[in-house]
Amino acid sequence: MFKNYFKTALRNLRKNKLYSIINIFGLTVGLAACLLIGIYINNELNYDKFNSNADRIVRVTMEFKQAETVNKVATTGTKVGPQFKRTFPVIEDYVRTYIGSSIVKYETKIFDEPRVLYADDPFFKIFSFKIIEGDAATALDAPGKVVLTKSMAEKYFGKEDALNKTLNVSGKDMIVSAVCQDAPQNSQLKFDFVTQFLNLNNVKEENWWTANWVTYLLLRDKNSIPQLEQQVNNYMQTPAVRAEARLDGSNYLSYHLEPLTSVHLHSSLAGFEPNGSITYVYLFLMIALLILIIACANYTNLATAQSTGRSGEIGMRKVMGATKKQVFTQFIGESFVITFIAALLAFLLSMLLIPYFNNITGTQFVVKVLFQPVPVVSLFVFCILVSFFAGLYPALVLSGTQIIGVLKKGFTFTGGNNLLRKGLIVVQFSISIFLIIYTVVILQQMNFMQTKNLGYNKNHVVVLPIGGKMKKDFQNIKEAIEKVPGVEGVTASYETPEFVEWGDGITAIDEKGKHEISLNAMPVDLDFIGTLKMQLAAGRDFQQSDFAIMDTSNDYANYRQPFIINETLAKKLGWTPEQAIGKIIDKGSPGPVVGVVKDFNFSSLHNPIGPLVMFLSRDFANNFMVRIAGNNTKTTLSNLENVWKQRVPERPFNFHFLDDDYNNLYQAEQRTSVLFSVAAGLAIILACLGLFGLAAFTTVQRTKEIGIRRVLGATVSGIAMLVSSNFLKLVAVAIIIAAPLAWWAANNWLQDFAFRIPVQLFVFLIAAIVTMLIAFITVSFHSVKAALANPVKSLRTE
Amino acid sequence: MIELKGIYKWVNTGNNRTFLLKDINLTVKQGEFISIMGPSGSGKSTLLNVIGMLDEFDEGEYIFMNEPVHKLKEKQRAALYKQYIGFVFQAYHLIDELTVYENIETPLIYQDIKSSERKAMVADILDRFNIVGKKDLFPTQLSGGQQQLVGIARALIANPKLLLADEPTGNLNSKQGEEIMNLFIQLNKDGVTIIQVTHSEKNAAYGSRIINLLDGRIEK
Repeated sequence: MFKNYFKTALRNLRKNKLYSIINIFGLTVGLAACLLIGIYINNELNYDKFNSNADRIVRVTMEFKQAETVNKVATTGTKVGPQFKRTFPVIEDYVRTYIGSSIVKYETKIFDEPRVLYADDPFFKIFSFKIIEGDAATALDAPGKVVLTKSMAEKYFGKEDALNKTLNVSGKDMIVSAVCQDAPQNSQLKFDFVTQFLNLNNVKEENWWTANWVTYLLLRDKNSIPQLEQQVNNYMQTPAVRAEARLDGSNYLSYHLEPLTSVHLHSSLAGFEPNGSITYVYLFLMIALLILIIACANYTNLATAQSTGRSGEIGMRKVMGATKKQVFTQFIGESFVITFIAALLAFLLSMLLIPYFNNITGTQFVVKVLFQPVPVVSLFVFCILVSFFAGLYPALVLSGTQIIGVLKKGFTFTGGNNLLRKGLIVVQFSISIFLIIYTVVILQQMNFMQTKNLGYNKNHVVVLPIGGKMKKDFQNIKEAIEKVPGVEGVTASYETPEFVEWGDGITAIDEKGKHEISLNAMPVDLDFIGTLKMQLAAGRDFQQSDFAIMDTSNDYANYRQPFIINETLAKKLGWTPEQAIGKIIDKGSPGPVVGVVKDFNFSSLHNPIGPLVMFLSRDFANNFMVRIAGNNTKTTLSNLENVWKQRVPERPFNFHFLDDDYNNLYQAEQRTSVLFSVAAGLAIILACLGLFGLAAFTTVQRTKEIGIRRVLGATVSGIAMLVSSNFLKLVAVAIIIAAPLAWWAANNWLQDFAFRIPVQLFVFLIAAIVTMLIAFITVSFHSVKAALANPVKSLRTE
Repeated sequence: MIELKGIYKWVNTGNNRTFLLKDINLTVKQGEFISIMGPSGSGKSTLLNVIGMLDEFDEGEYIFMNEPVHKLKEKQRAALYKQYIGFVFQAYHLIDELTVYENIETPLIYQDIKSSERKAMVADILDRFNIVGKKDLFPTQLSGGQQQLVGIARALIANPKLLLADEPTGNLNSKQGEEIMNLFIQLNKDGVTIIQVTHSEKNAAYGSRIINLLDGRIEK
């Protein structure tokens, strides 16, 4: 019996190629979207869970109050791990970690490696990174040892055995003590090398402050987390500890314990990598479901429409003795066949799309992930569910038909069903229009962020990291770079201007009294304002003579620090820019304000511009920023490289562009925009395909009516309008439903930005007009064809 | 075999009641070959559908093989006609997506007959109707006469006691029609009771008895 059904199903697919292609294509896209997004969500939800101790590991985050400001960071001082272990018996072990970049050398191979992990000895005991060669227990027990990942072992040693080879890391020779598996995709710690924590500078002394390290604790009991957190905070309030941490007044220092597995999705504090977000997971899930709904609706609509053609067959099957149940089974089965074909294609499509998908989500999946039991089984389960839901309605209607009616006058769907079909079209187009409007708003905001006047010019600025040794030779290297043809200006600073994190506090004294303000601070070199093309509201840029007042003799007794402040700070202090010049402020050491810079965005556009102070310093110079001419960038860069190789032979020439750094700030937004663009495109394509199929069907149904109208003198355009208007009404209803939702959602998304565009009415108008137009063209394709046909012919066929 | 007593069937249009069948009394014995005649709209097809249990009636009694059809539930009725009745239609009503072989086989599938047995039965009837060579063709690849032949083969595959034919030759030319009628005669001789609806005096004459319908009534 099933063979019989199967054959009928396949032959029907072949006979109605248009419907079959629309259905299979739609379901394929829908299922592929679900599959890929499912893999992503699965990965997100299982972040860090590969660790067999995952439920007993916590990350320690620090909360402290100083200068009336509460700060929370994911990093802690060196003392946290060892002191807690000594104090609280529930802590089995701790590991302090840091990931930094180092120059790694082996024979002639020299690379700047960005992912060198420094970790305490128990690292491999606490985390489950698999050791392939060597002994986990002794891998990190001495400072001169380094563990490589498998891919690094291949990179440096090729086919040779890496074990016990000597590798030079940051100028120190180290023995390869073990090789471990590459860190999995879903690990918050991703590294290429591991070496002992104590190899870092200035970490031997235990200290509550200088919090640059991420500390993980392994607990003996997974249920003791809240209790331990309470104990830790009680401990941190004891006078002895407060004295040791130099806390007075209302200032405090406390710690929170985050279960390892909730860090990635639920923590607001990024560690070694930007966190994922549960919102993102929901967003992805929503998009997958919406696309699938559109595809299912297409199937239901087209199957019911098509059933007119199948009525003879069903009637005959019933005459031959088929029961209602058998007919029902047959049609559900048919829907399963289609969905199954779609599922197979979806699997293939996903394999092809994985690289693009990685691009959107910032993941690194490989094709292999598809072939695991979870995705395969889920796809199959989904396939069954979808075939059931999409096929349910047509199967019910068809199996319930009365034989005699079918045999006598053919099969027609009546009232109730039309409502369903109309409802489904409205749903499809509501989803599409919603996605289109939302996407346009996101893209507008992205464009706004890229073109906004930031208060400095981010284009054509090359950023060159400065290494420790270079600081001695700073002036010479700077001058050498300045002389390179094509270079228009050179400056240096601790952080690049697009994202300043240095938090600080100043005191300013004027006739009105004493002001304490916590703010961001930037150590900068000469020419900073000029090179970055910032505007001064008053005063001047730093100049060579400013170094004169920075008198370090006599233990800094007469040290004066010159400052440039931004407009916001001036306003906060109650000064006009002109008044601010010459005022004295104190940031550790006092000094005069020499300039007021016009506000520029030194943080992401999510945040308003806060007060900022810039102070002249070369000790903190971490990056050269080199403005180059807009033309011949290639030549200028290779000239720069030559100078670099002469001056700084110990470091590879690694550079990045300031505008890329800026764009990287908005990766999440970038991804959201791509994701929504793709989703909106797919939604409208699928919805229109469905409409196309449905229009084809209704037009056939109305051939006779169209013929009669033609005979009575209707014009072609009149008939096109007649047929199209029914569909266009539905699209109009969809617009009315979707517009307020999209308005709300887009506004909601924009709330996150301190600098944002308004949601404009014309976006809605354009979305409405474009959707209407697309729908109209889709539908009239068929109606015009029918209207142009010779009416005599269409009437005769009836 | 068939006993119809006072069968009425009507439809209500607005306030009017239009009678499709009026006081039909008819007895058919096993082995008869009956032709139902009458002008368009006289209720011939309706009567045939009522006999075939594809359509319901509003009043009266219908006894088929000693079963009171008017008292049976739909499922029981379906089981009854599935077992005893074969249908032939003017428009053949073959399933376009199935081959000749599969079309003929389908009723057996619904009667839960085993695959091997089905094969034998279909092979047998293909042979009997001389259409073995056409078994893998689809209906659209056949002429009208051939399609009707397949339709009859399909109606007969489950060995029905009663064959109901609604203008079986209506879409055929006279030569094809003649062949079909000769086939009916042959089947009737083999013991199948046949009731056919026809417009043509000539075809009606093949039957052993003619019933004339006018406006839903049997004319005496």
